[in-house]
Amino acid sequence: MIEVADLSVAYGTGRRRVLAVDRVSLSVPTGEMGALVGPSGCGKSTILYAVDGLIPPTEGTISVADEPVHGVRRDVALILQDAGLLPWKTVRQNAELALRIQGVGEDVADILNTLGLTGFENSFPAELSEGMKRRVGIARALALHPRVLLMDEPMANLDSLTREHIQKLILDLWKSLRFTALLVTHDIEEAVFLGRHVFVLSRRPARVVEAIANPEAGTAAYRGSDTFVQRVRYLHELLGGVQ
Amino acid sequence: MSVRTQGGDRRSAAEILSGAKSVATYLLAACVVLGVWWIVAHILYAVRGYSVLPTPAETFRLAITLRGDLAPAFGNSALRFLISIVVAFVLAVPFGLVVGFSRRLHQYVSPLVFLTYPIPPVALLVFLYMAFGTGEAVRVFVVTIALFFQLLVAAMGAARQIPPSFVTSVRSAGATKWGLYKHVVLPATLPSMLTAARVSVGLGITLLYIAETRIGAVGGARSGLGVFIKVHSHAPAEYELSAVVGLALMGLVFYTALELLDRWLCRWRHVGGGGGT
Ligand SMILES: Nc1ncnc2c1ncn2[C@@H]1O[C@H](COP(=O)(O)OP(=O)(O)OP(=O)(O)O)[C@@H](O)[C@H]1O
Ligand SMILES: [Mg+2]
Repeated sequence: MIEVADLSVAYGTGRRRVLAVDRVSLSVPTGEMGALVGPSGCGKSTILYAVDGLIPPTEGTISVADEPVHGVRRDVALILQDAGLLPWKTVRQNAELALRIQGVGEDVADILNTLGLTGFENSFPAELSEGMKRRVGIARALALHPRVLLMDEPMANLDSLTREHIQKLILDLWKSLRFTALLVTHDIEEAVFLGRHVFVLSRRPARVVEAIANPEAGTAAYRGSDTFVQRVRYLHELLGGVQ
Repeated sequence: MSVRTQGGDRRSAAEILSGAKSVATYLLAACVVLGVWWIVAHILYAVRGYSVLPTPAETFRLAITLRGDLAPAFGNSALRFLISIVVAFVLAVPFGLVVGFSRRLHQYVSPLVFLTYPIPPVALLVFLYMAFGTGEAVRVFVVTIALFFQLLVAAMGAARQIPPSFVTSVRSAGATKWGLYKHVVLPATLPSMLTAARVSVGLGITLLYIAETRIGAVGGARSGLGVFIKVHSHAPAEYELSAVVGLALMGLVFYTALELLDRWLCRWRHVGGGGGT
């Protein structure tokens, strides 16, 4: 369970102070997937960083699995915008980064295999396609078997085929591993397709404009259904009003 | 399996090819330099009516005759330079990276660095000479201090250029401060540091030349290419030129060594389509 209560985050101090997140509350039940949608620059990444323990809340509280978040935790993993791979590390070294840092002697061969990266263990990020890089980012996040997976636009800037492939991959992984997930996206259809709980954010500072229950999310058949189309249209209107 | 072997073969073939190419360009460059030298020597001879600049052939003939003196001079100069650049690198890089990576430290330390940075080390030579005499240490020290500042400024700059996303991704994996240096700061800045070292080879050799020719050369001090030039300052120009060729070769050796180090340690920059060289 991810529980965010009255979260505010400000960057900088004095005259340069920027309020990025303003009293955001949201919760995602254990084993389910939540989606954050909002205009660009509204504070989506900031919310994820705070849940990951990278940024201390200016105000408010965050807890994961009923334990308050004070700093980075082993059971919470983050997939960064543009995968955040280190160009000087090979695919294997990138995937096992968290394991090495935490001193866990586990192997990443299985997870690389699951993500179709076998045979590329010794390649550098510069030698990979964009879709492969994203898969390495996913492998790295899953290597420590996290209870909570935070994803910052994992499908952004991909061609539509690769995008659908990664969407399906994340869905399959979620179904088999059942982590609790929070997905940031600026793609409304993606949010409705994947997020059982969709949180629509305002422009900066991010506020929750509406929390939408979307229980049908995560099934292949949902995408073509009338409910899906209606929810997507509704969100478009909502965000159109926001922007 | 076969696909991977093939890929491996292709890569090593490409590596060999690029290696051969760079050897070829060096040879070509050497030919150009020798050619220009030869032409200038002949023009000067034609204009003046007597030999101003010895030709490459004359110089090399003399160098071979004097190899018993030149080889140890080359060795000593190269050793001085090696010690200087290693000491400067080992001191400047960690210090510069720590300062550059911390906004607070950078704020306080950078004015200090940029105030002292423009002081030419040569200007200190007289003081060093008076304070510490003409020993080996002073010569090495002058070169070291010059390289130190070059590398320090480069390290501070490189550490400030590190994209925040690399830091975020490693922090999110649970890294401590030391982990950040190990996984991000050091590898991210290594290419710039090696480039800075390569760029400062020229400056270092210039200073070594000055230190060796200015600081009391003869009395007991060990030889060096600069010392050789000073000792033979009244001999025909071939003497000086043969030592100058030695200095040029020395620069080339260090420059190439640093380039090879870059290829070896920063292999990731030389793969894939973009980036690199
Ligand atoms: N380190 C920082 N210092 C100061 N301001 C920052 C910092 N990081 C982000 N901001 C500001 O906070 C706001 C929210 O940034 P954030 O990255 O969370 O937005 P986002 O919704 O993820 O944007 P995008 O859609 O571009 O990914 C932005 O206006 C940004 O300018
Ligand atoms: Mg963002």
